[in-house]
Amino acid sequence: MSADIMLEIKELNKYFGPTHANKDISFTIKKGEIKGLIGENGSGKSTLISQIAGLYASDSGTMLLNGEPYSPSSPVDANNHAISIVMQELGVIGSLPAGVNVFLGRTKQFTKNGIVNLKSLNKAAAEQFKKWDLPYVPLNKLTDGMMIETRKIIELARALSVEPQLLLLDEITQSLSMNNRNKLYELINKLKSMGRSVIVISHDVEELIHITDSITVLRDGEVVGDVISNDTSADDIKRMMVGREISGDYYRDDMKPEYGDDVVVSVRNLTVPGEIEDVSFDVHESEILGFCGLSDSGIHTVGKAVYGLLKPSGGQVYLNSKELVIKKASKALRNNMAYVPKDRDNEALMIHASIHDNFNLPSLTELQGSIGYLSPGKLKKLALEMTNKLSVKCTDIYQTMDALSGGNKQKVNLGRWLAKDIKLLILDCPTRGVDVGVKAYIYSLIKEAKKNGTATILISDELTEVLGMSDRLIVMKDGRVNDVIHRDEDFTEQSVIKVMI
Amino acid sequence: MQTLKSKQNPPQEKNQNQAIFALILIAVIIIAAIVFNIITGGEFLDSTNIVIVLSHIVWPTFVAWGFCFLFACGYTDLSIGAIIVLGSFATTIFGNWLGYPGVILGGIFVGTLLTFLNFNVFAFTKIPSWIAGISLAMIYEALAVFLKVNKTTEALIYVEMDKSLRLLGKLPWSVIVLAIGLVCAYIVYNRTSVGLNIRALGGNKEVSKALGINITKTLLMVGLISGLFIGLASVIQQSIAGRTLVKTGLTSINMMFHPLAIVLLAQVLQKRLNIIIAVPICSIIIYAIFNLLTLVRVPSGTLQEAFLGAFLIAFGIIGQRGSKGVVK
Repeated sequence: MSADIMLEIKELNKYFGPTHANKDISFTIKKGEIKGLIGENGSGKSTLISQIAGLYASDSGTMLLNGEPYSPSSPVDANNHAISIVMQELGVIGSLPAGVNVFLGRTKQFTKNGIVNLKSLNKAAAEQFKKWDLPYVPLNKLTDGMMIETRKIIELARALSVEPQLLLLDEITQSLSMNNRNKLYELINKLKSMGRSVIVISHDVEELIHITDSITVLRDGEVVGDVISNDTSADDIKRMMVGREISGDYYRDDMKPEYGDDVVVSVRNLTVPGEIEDVSFDVHESEILGFCGLSDSGIHTVGKAVYGLLKPSGGQVYLNSKELVIKKASKALRNNMAYVPKDRDNEALMIHASIHDNFNLPSLTELQGSIGYLSPGKLKKLALEMTNKLSVKCTDIYQTMDALSGGNKQKVNLGRWLAKDIKLLILDCPTRGVDVGVKAYIYSLIKEAKKNGTATILISDELTEVLGMSDRLIVMKDGRVNDVIHRDEDFTEQSVIKVMI
Repeated sequence: MQTLKSKQNPPQEKNQNQAIFALILIAVIIIAAIVFNIITGGEFLDSTNIVIVLSHIVWPTFVAWGFCFLFACGYTDLSIGAIIVLGSFATTIFGNWLGYPGVILGGIFVGTLLTFLNFNVFAFTKIPSWIAGISLAMIYEALAVFLKVNKTTEALIYVEMDKSLRLLGKLPWSVIVLAIGLVCAYIVYNRTSVGLNIRALGGNKEVSKALGINITKTLLMVGLISGLFIGLASVIQQSIAGRTLVKTGLTSINMMFHPLAIVLLAQVLQKRLNIIIAVPICSIIIYAIFNLLTLVRVPSGTLQEAFLGAFLIAFGIIGQRGSKGVVK
């Protein structure tokens, strides 16, 4: 084994019951190498890095770390070998402060005579944030209620605090806004310059090509390609991932804003203290209205406030067709509005309930009979129809949501609203954590909704997404509308970034 | 992101806010006490009455601290009432036999042992704790009946403690024990690895596991820590009452009602005040209300509890104002 190889994986296999999640996986990662790992949802990426991080034991195969046999018995064991991970689905403990979360499980180093010195712990946590130039997080504040992005930053600080020689990042970029994503790229470069290695999982092909040295592609649990990032193209990667050509109409191919004259919803001077101020806009029939901005711009708050999930201190959301003001989510739902939040596991789906229940829940009023009776036949029919229409990969409609991959969860999350007659659809980061195949499918659903006259508010941390799909784009800064750009104007990343910053 | 700018000394700011809130709360309690005193024609702040209130808050406060650890790790144990009964028996039996060492160690030993045993059941059988708790409560109640100490009737059993051994039920000793309990509970809950691990376990079991926290060991530690507080509660309860009454048919659960009300109230306050500190404050509030109701001749029992229930709801509504989402 060459001295510059950090980790060598040979014929690794992992089974979950009858599912063969990783099949004879072999690859190496050099010291100072940034490796991308990509594949469709359910291709076995997370399973693979979970074995490296000590979360799962391998069923067969070997791993060599710096030439020595490596078989971590737990994440702590992996940490002791200078390997740490930021997982897509794990997270932080809401009932504990951010600083404690950074060192949770390792608080003994701050313990004297059985008492944890929280001052030293917070100081050490603050030093980690400073050392790696991470965005500010209030370390003494409970993480409960913090935004998903902040929670990911805390997890990142936690992973970095073990001084990893190999850092594993599982789809974290899609939880970050553009400015923090750039910070992460800088961090990855810094680790590289220190001779440390990083494995990055992302569904953003262009991003992976941009930030990595090499990319390993997985399909159905197997390695189907191992390429040098500079020598490959996004189309090559996509082809390897899905085993066929991906058609060109990923985003919209027209460059003209096209929507009806009728205003579906008028938002006037909407203010949520500390989050957004004086936000006003109209969204029209058949329009896709994009929202973008930096992390503290308030774009995600707009979605929640318009749907009535946040109580504004001023302003109003006016539903034109029914001449009424939306103040509560229940009223929004009753009046054909739908909201798909960014944090689908915690805010959107009933994660331990079945696909059947998740599909039916928003449509219960339409499905119930005259005396409120819900026919099991009708419920099953709707769940089956939607499962087939959206090609949700599952064992049956009674499988629980937590067993599905991210992409399939999102199909249910979005699809259940499309089963209804929706006038306004609010989508907050609808393609977060989904692969290119599902992404293309979700865009086709949004385009179909546009064709059917549905007005859509598309909030996204991915500029390419809002630029690719929107008729008009609202750029926010510090909680205010900074500019509105139409699709036929200067609709480029450069011009939008200029307004954002 | 919350913000990208750094702030000056946020931990100090938080401690200051908590201290201000605690002071405001204490001021409100004092004002309320003066109003209560006026309503009761001076009876409420009479020194004898104050002694009664202070004496009666101690043991439920200890049970409530035990609940804080129990709930923090995400478990429920409905057999705590029965454990207090058995702990009280042990306090008397060992006390009458060995004197003060028996009083203190007897109750603490039985309380800790049984709560620890319960958590072994929860950890190793994987039965939902509230189901296992009910089953264990029935077993402990039956055990208490089986002991047949000084049996007087078929359904009602009591055991009496020597009057010379009841010092911990009297002032100032009970309040001194309370103060020691507060310091210990605060440190264990907020400033020890095991306290943080317990809270992590209740927050997210999977994350805790991934971070290397030993789930079984942590659960057993909850049993041990909660057990110590519950055992001590048995000692104090017996020192005040002098005898323990028990009936079968899960009526031991009644003993948990006041401590539960205290913890629920403290949970409402925990957004602004550390829950361990909130517990004795809430204990005073609840017992002051009961005392007031008694002084104004509201019949004890159902009607007083209805008042307390209404108070809890009203307090909860005020406390949760401004909370986002569903409060569980």
